[in-house]
Amino acid sequence: MKRTIMMSAAAVAAATLVLAGCSSGTDNDSGGDGEVTGEVTITLAGWSLSTTPEFQILADAFHEQNPNITVEVLEYDATEYDTQMIADLAAGTAPDMYVQKNLKNFVTYQDGGQLLDVSSVAAELGDDVDGVEAYTVDDVTYAIPYRQDAWYLYYNKDLFDAAGVAHPDGSWTWDDYATAAEDLAAGLSAAGSDATGTYQHGWQSVVQGFANAQADGADLLSGEWEYLVPYYERAVALQDAGAQVDFGTLTTNSLTYQSQFGTQLAAMMPMGSWYVATLLAQQASGEADTFNWGFAPAPQLDDSTTEEPVTFADPTGIGINPAVDDDVAAAAMEFLTFVGSEEAASALAEIGITPAITNDVVTETFFGIEGVPTDELSQFTFANHDVRPENPVDVNTVVLQNILGDAHTAIMSGSVSPADGIAEAMDRAAAELG
Amino acid sequence: MATTVAPAPTRVPRQRPPGSRLKLRNTFIGWTFILPNFIGFAVLTLVPVVILFYMAFTSWNVFGSADWVGLENFRDLISDRTFHTALLNTGYYALLHIPLTLAVSLGLALLLNTKLRGVAFFRTVAFFPYITSIVAIAVVWNMLFSPESGPVNQFLMALGIDNPPGWTTSTTWAMPAVALVSTWRDMGYYMLLFLAGLQAIPGELYEAARVDGANKIQRFWNVTIPSLRPTTFFVTVMLTIGSFKVFDLILVMTDGGPGTATLVLSQYIYRKGFEEQQFGYASAVAIVLFLICITVTVVQFLVNKRRNR
Repeated sequence: MKRTIMMSAAAVAAATLVLAGCSSGTDNDSGGDGEVTGEVTITLAGWSLSTTPEFQILADAFHEQNPNITVEVLEYDATEYDTQMIADLAAGTAPDMYVQKNLKNFVTYQDGGQLLDVSSVAAELGDDVDGVEAYTVDDVTYAIPYRQDAWYLYYNKDLFDAAGVAHPDGSWTWDDYATAAEDLAAGLSAAGSDATGTYQHGWQSVVQGFANAQADGADLLSGEWEYLVPYYERAVALQDAGAQVDFGTLTTNSLTYQSQFGTQLAAMMPMGSWYVATLLAQQASGEADTFNWGFAPAPQLDDSTTEEPVTFADPTGIGINPAVDDDVAAAAMEFLTFVGSEEAASALAEIGITPAITNDVVTETFFGIEGVPTDELSQFTFANHDVRPENPVDVNTVVLQNILGDAHTAIMSGSVSPADGIAEAMDRAAAELG
Repeated sequence: MATTVAPAPTRVPRQRPPGSRLKLRNTFIGWTFILPNFIGFAVLTLVPVVILFYMAFTSWNVFGSADWVGLENFRDLISDRTFHTALLNTGYYALLHIPLTLAVSLGLALLLNTKLRGVAFFRTVAFFPYITSIVAIAVVWNMLFSPESGPVNQFLMALGIDNPPGWTTSTTWAMPAVALVSTWRDMGYYMLLFLAGLQAIPGELYEAARVDGANKIQRFWNVTIPSLRPTTFFVTVMLTIGSFKVFDLILVMTDGGPGTATLVLSQYIYRKGFEEQQFGYASAVAIVLFLICITVTVVQFLVNKRRNR
C-alpha cells in the first residue's frame, strides 16, 4: 500500500511538471499596427476601483472618442498588485493591458518579456509628456505614462498663522524647512495647540527619495550612499527636538498621513501630489477638517535649484500584455495613444490627479477644481518642477531598496546613528551585488 | 496507478479464491476514503514541495524558463549576511518562544485542571487569543507596546522604571516583544493539549503517591511530568516547527524591523521570492528551513524514544 502511494505521488508530480513545462513559452509576437474594425473589448488592470477612479475615467473618455472600442477595467488588490499581476502573467490569465504601478517592478515585466513594444505610440506623443524615458530600455519603449506625480511640501496656512511663522516662499532649503518646523513646534505649543511642526510619514521615500533626487552624485544603484547621511541627521534631529512625531509612535500606533495632516495635527508634511485629490475628497466627506492649506515646492539641497525645484516620484504608465491577439493589440495601441494625449491629461486633472502632461491647459483645469488652493505658490509648484524617478530601472533596484528600507527603520527608530546605519547598508549592498 | 493492487483478479478471473473479491472491494473503498484528501494534499502541497527541491537548484524570475545553476544558490547562502541574520533571529525567536510557551501553557493547564468555580469560563478565555485575527493582535499589541504612550511602558514607569524598553521600536527588545505576543497567542491552544493530557492521568497514581507520603511538589515531578511525556513531546515538536516557520505575526507586527532585528527565515524567503523575484534563491532558503525543521524533529523523536525504553 505504502509503495502504491509513493508511486502515485511520483506519477502526479511528474505529470504536473510536464504540464507546467507545456504551459509556458507560447508567446507569439503580435504586430498590432493594423486598423481596428468592428466592436472590440479590451481589458485593463487597475486597483481599489472605488477609491481610484482614474482607470474608469480614462476608459470612459476613450470610449467616447472611439465608440467601437470598450475598455473594461479589472480590479486587483492595491498592496499586492504586482504579486497578483506577476502570477496572472505567468499563468497566462492577465488582462490585455496593465498599469505599471511604480518603477520598482517594471524591470521584472520588461526583462521577463511581458510588455509589448509600444515605441510607435511613444514616437507620436507630444514632447511635454513626462516619464516616457523611464519606460524606455535600449531605445524601445514599453509603457506610456498617464500620470506623473511629484512630491511637494503641504502646509496648513491656519497653523502657520497661529504659530506666527512665515509661510513657505518657494525658496526653502531643507535647513529652512527644519528651522520652520522647530519654530512651528514652539509657536504652536505657545498658542496652546497639540499640533507638531511637521509630519514625516514612515516610508523610506520621505527621506531617501529626496536625497536620491537632489544630492550631488547621488546614485542608488552605486551602493555608495554617504549622501543619505545628512538627510537622516536632519530627520532624526527634528524627531529628537519634538518637531515631528517620532518613528516609534508612528509605527506602533499605525498613524496615517491623511489623518495627521487632514485633522490638523501637523503644520507641514512632505507628500506626493496624489494627496491633493485625497485631501479634497476627505474635506468634502468630513473625514478631514476644513482649513486653509497650500502646497509649496519640496525643500531643496541648496538655493541653486529653486527656479525649477528638484523633486521625485515614479511615473505611472500602462503597458500591453504581449499575449494578446493582433486586433486587441491594435485597439490597445489606440488606447495608449489616447492615454498620452492632452484630452486624457485634462480628464485626469479634473479629479485632482497630476497627469503626465502639465501644460497651461492642464494646469488651468487642475486649479479649476473646487477647493484646490489657487495661490501663486501652489500654481508654481504644480507647473514647475524637475521630477526624477524614485526607482532606477535595473534588476538590482528592488534588492537595494529593501536594504535601504531596513536601514531606514533602524535609523529612524534610533537604534543606530545615521552614519552607522548607512555604513551597514553599504556593506550589505556590496555583499549582495558581489 | 493502482497496478500493484489490480493484477491479481484480472490474471485469474475464474479461480478466484473466496474472499478476494471482498478484499479488492475493501481496498477500493479504502482508497476512495483517502483519495479526496490525498488529491488535495498532492496537488496543493506535495507537488509544490517536490518542485521546490528542483527550483532550489535553478535561477528563475517567474517568467521564462528556470536555468539550472547547480549548487550556486547554496554557495551564495554561505556568504549571505542577511541570511545569517535571519537564521540567527529565527533561532533566537525559537529559544525565547518554545520554553516560554511550554511553561506558560503547562502552568495554565495545571491551574485550570483544578476544581475552580467558573473553570470552563477561564478555559475559554485563555483560548480566545488563539482564535483572534493575527492582524488585530498585531495592531493592538503594537499600540500597547508604544514607547511613549503605550500602557505597557506607562505601567513600567509607574513601577519606577525610568527607562522602559522601546519594545517593537528597539533592535534589542523587538524580538522579545514579538516572542511575548506569540506566547500569549499560542498558550491557549497548547494549554488545551496539556489539559487533555492531565485529565488522562489516572487518579490512582496520585493516590498511591500520596499514600507513600509524597507532597504536592514531589507528586508534580514524579507523577504529573512523567505521565505527561507523550503530550509534552507532541507539544514540543509542534512548537518547534511553529517557531521555525513563524511568519505572519512578525510580518504584521514589525515587518522584520527595526533594521533586520526581527527578520526571520520565512520572511526572508518571502522577500527574496515574491518581492525580489529570485525564486530559485528563495527555494534554497526554504530548503535550509526544511532541513532545520526535520533535523530538530528527528532529534526530538530519538530523544523521546530513548526515554521511553
